[in-house]
Amino acid sequence: MPSPADRADIHSPTGPAEGDPETRDTTPALGTRGEPGRWQRAVEGARVALHKRAFGDGRWSFLYSYRSEYAADRADTEAVAAAAARARRGPPPEQIQGPMMNPAVWTWEVPLYFWFGGIAAGSSFVALACDLAGDHRSARIARRVALGALMPSPPLLILDLGRPERFVNMLRIFKPRSPMSMGAWCLSVFGGLSSAAVGADLIGRKKEARALGGANAVVGGYLGSYTGVLLASTAVPLWARSKMFLGPIFVTTAVATGAAATRLVLVASGLPDGHRTRHALGRVEATAIAIELGLSTWNERRLGDTGDALERGRAGKLFHLAKWSVRAGLALRVARPKLGSKIHHVASGLYLLGGLAFRYAWVAAGHNSASDDADVARMGRHEGGEA
Amino acid sequence: MSAVPSVRAPKRERSIRREGAERVGFFTDTTVCIGCKACEVACKQWNDLTSDGGELVGGGSYDHTRRLSASTWRHVRFIENPALPTAAVAGDGLPDLVQMAEAASPPLDSWLFMSDVCKHCTNAGCMDACPTGAIIRTEFDTVVIQADVCNGCGYCIPSCPFGVPDRDPEDGRAAKCTLCYDRLEDGLEPACAKACPTDSIVFGPYDEIVDLAQKRVTRLHERGIESAYLYGAGDPPEASLAGGLGAFFLLTEPPERYGLPAQADSPIQENVVPATAAAVGAGLLAAIGVAAAFVVKPPRVGRRQRVRAKLWQEGR
Repeated sequence: MPSPADRADIHSPTGPAEGDPETRDTTPALGTRGEPGRWQRAVEGARVALHKRAFGDGRWSFLYSYRSEYAADRADTEAVAAAAARARRGPPPEQIQGPMMNPAVWTWEVPLYFWFGGIAAGSSFVALACDLAGDHRSARIARRVALGALMPSPPLLILDLGRPERFVNMLRIFKPRSPMSMGAWCLSVFGGLSSAAVGADLIGRKKEARALGGANAVVGGYLGSYTGVLLASTAVPLWARSKMFLGPIFVTTAVATGAAATRLVLVASGLPDGHRTRHALGRVEATAIAIELGLSTWNERRLGDTGDALERGRAGKLFHLAKWSVRAGLALRVARPKLGSKIHHVASGLYLLGGLAFRYAWVAAGHNSASDDADVARMGRHEGGEA
Repeated sequence: MSAVPSVRAPKRERSIRREGAERVGFFTDTTVCIGCKACEVACKQWNDLTSDGGELVGGGSYDHTRRLSASTWRHVRFIENPALPTAAVAGDGLPDLVQMAEAASPPLDSWLFMSDVCKHCTNAGCMDACPTGAIIRTEFDTVVIQADVCNGCGYCIPSCPFGVPDRDPEDGRAAKCTLCYDRLEDGLEPACAKACPTDSIVFGPYDEIVDLAQKRVTRLHERGIESAYLYGAGDPPEASLAGGLGAFFLLTEPPERYGLPAQADSPIQENVVPATAAAVGAGLLAAIGVAAAFVVKPPRVGRRQRVRAKLWQEGR
């Protein structure tokens, strides 16, 4: 939840003081603050005095009911539709008076969750791959990494809610249409499977643990990518116009960060140098992050003016940090034969940092984009970059 | 009656059923709005909304909040001509209207007011986004946030192409116009429409007000105001805004001057299927790719490394 001071400048153009809960009187006339409004009739079922039934009051008008010349006798519906088409076609006007739309109110918790969720999803892929390749010990550790990365996710999401105590309402309905609902369910299922898999490992049920880990990787495919869908399904021009890219970008970040985190944990647990799992993880993290960098750059180019949101302010700085971390990581990997194998761990760390910065940058850039009235207007005119 | 068939939301979306309930809405005619803000006040009073403070936004504008928010469900937008000389702003920050009108270039011939409100879309982006089912479609085809269900996830906020729902930082829940659902249940018109002294806000059964609005536009065209048009009603289905707006407007300038998009639809209905296909496809490819990287032949390793790998597997 944003602090009142953060939001005050949005609510009040005159300055932060006005939205300050200390000075702003929020006492409701009835009931208690923060509860649904309450209203009760003095006599149950009584009619409201002095009003006409069936919106009769609303129908009465001095303006429309008498010979006021307000409206024509017959509507020329075609001309009316044509007038609307004229006004809504062509380039947007020079003068735009925003705000055109509201930016997301999500704060630091949400991108951090994207990062942790991505690591969890990526590690679940690694666990499955290790099992398939026969390295069961690494698979066990990868499953633990997946569970460990998942653990902070629910608290982060709950913290971000305006009403954290109502988090369970997320599971009140199953709504395939809403990525937020699907994400909440996916996170729950992933959490359940992940805990069960680690539990099976602990009690020595190898087959069950592998099966649960495999199922977890399938759920992880959605956990790692739905966050992109979540952003793409909004009216924010930058996100909506990147709809075919956000899912793939987020899933490649998930794979890269998941592989990097698992790699570091495995190395710390004593996975020997030259082991095939270490080789494979090094390949996976570098390939995934390189694809991510390529997709991001391609997407940014094709977005045109809308892509400027990725360059401005905090989002721009974060994007630069992300890109340079990734490039530095890739360079270190290339230079590894000269610098020794330990330098590879620094590269993994840089991928993790880059992934985190990418997550924050996308959310911050969405804020830029939604606040850019000219860009939102162009989106409504189907202008300025591909849909 | 209008040539365009009556627009209703899909019946399965309706969470409340009531015999004889029909779609209702607002027709806001900006050509008769006088910018008195009675609707804003009436809305705040009826819905028990908190104050936004009494100050104008400044800079020579009579606008109070510039936007709809969790505590402003009706907002009278003032669109002042940007060519107005700023020198005409008096010491107290209020514009000296006479001086402005005289000094303006081009001469001040219009001052636009628009009483903005939730559009109660046929394809409601906020409702599609809501993960808790707090946002529902009522028997009147209006879109209402159930305050006792909403957990403040904030997803409806960027999902609205019109920028209507908002989360109150103190209350934590999203809030927006309910089209006075509590009044509708009793056959009363919403508070803002009741309070409007010029009947700029017309409330009524949807087909009736669309018909009235179209007749009004025809009359304005007859009088030579060719720029008058309806925003959100009377369009053919392929050009409709979010499937047709329950609260629509008569405007005389391009929609962006009023902060409205020229074209909009529920972003989820537009994007979620292709975006999910791309994302899940990428997820599957990624899982396969990771597995492939492990199964691919490893580089040749020496005997010492093979022994170390065996030791690793045995957990030593």
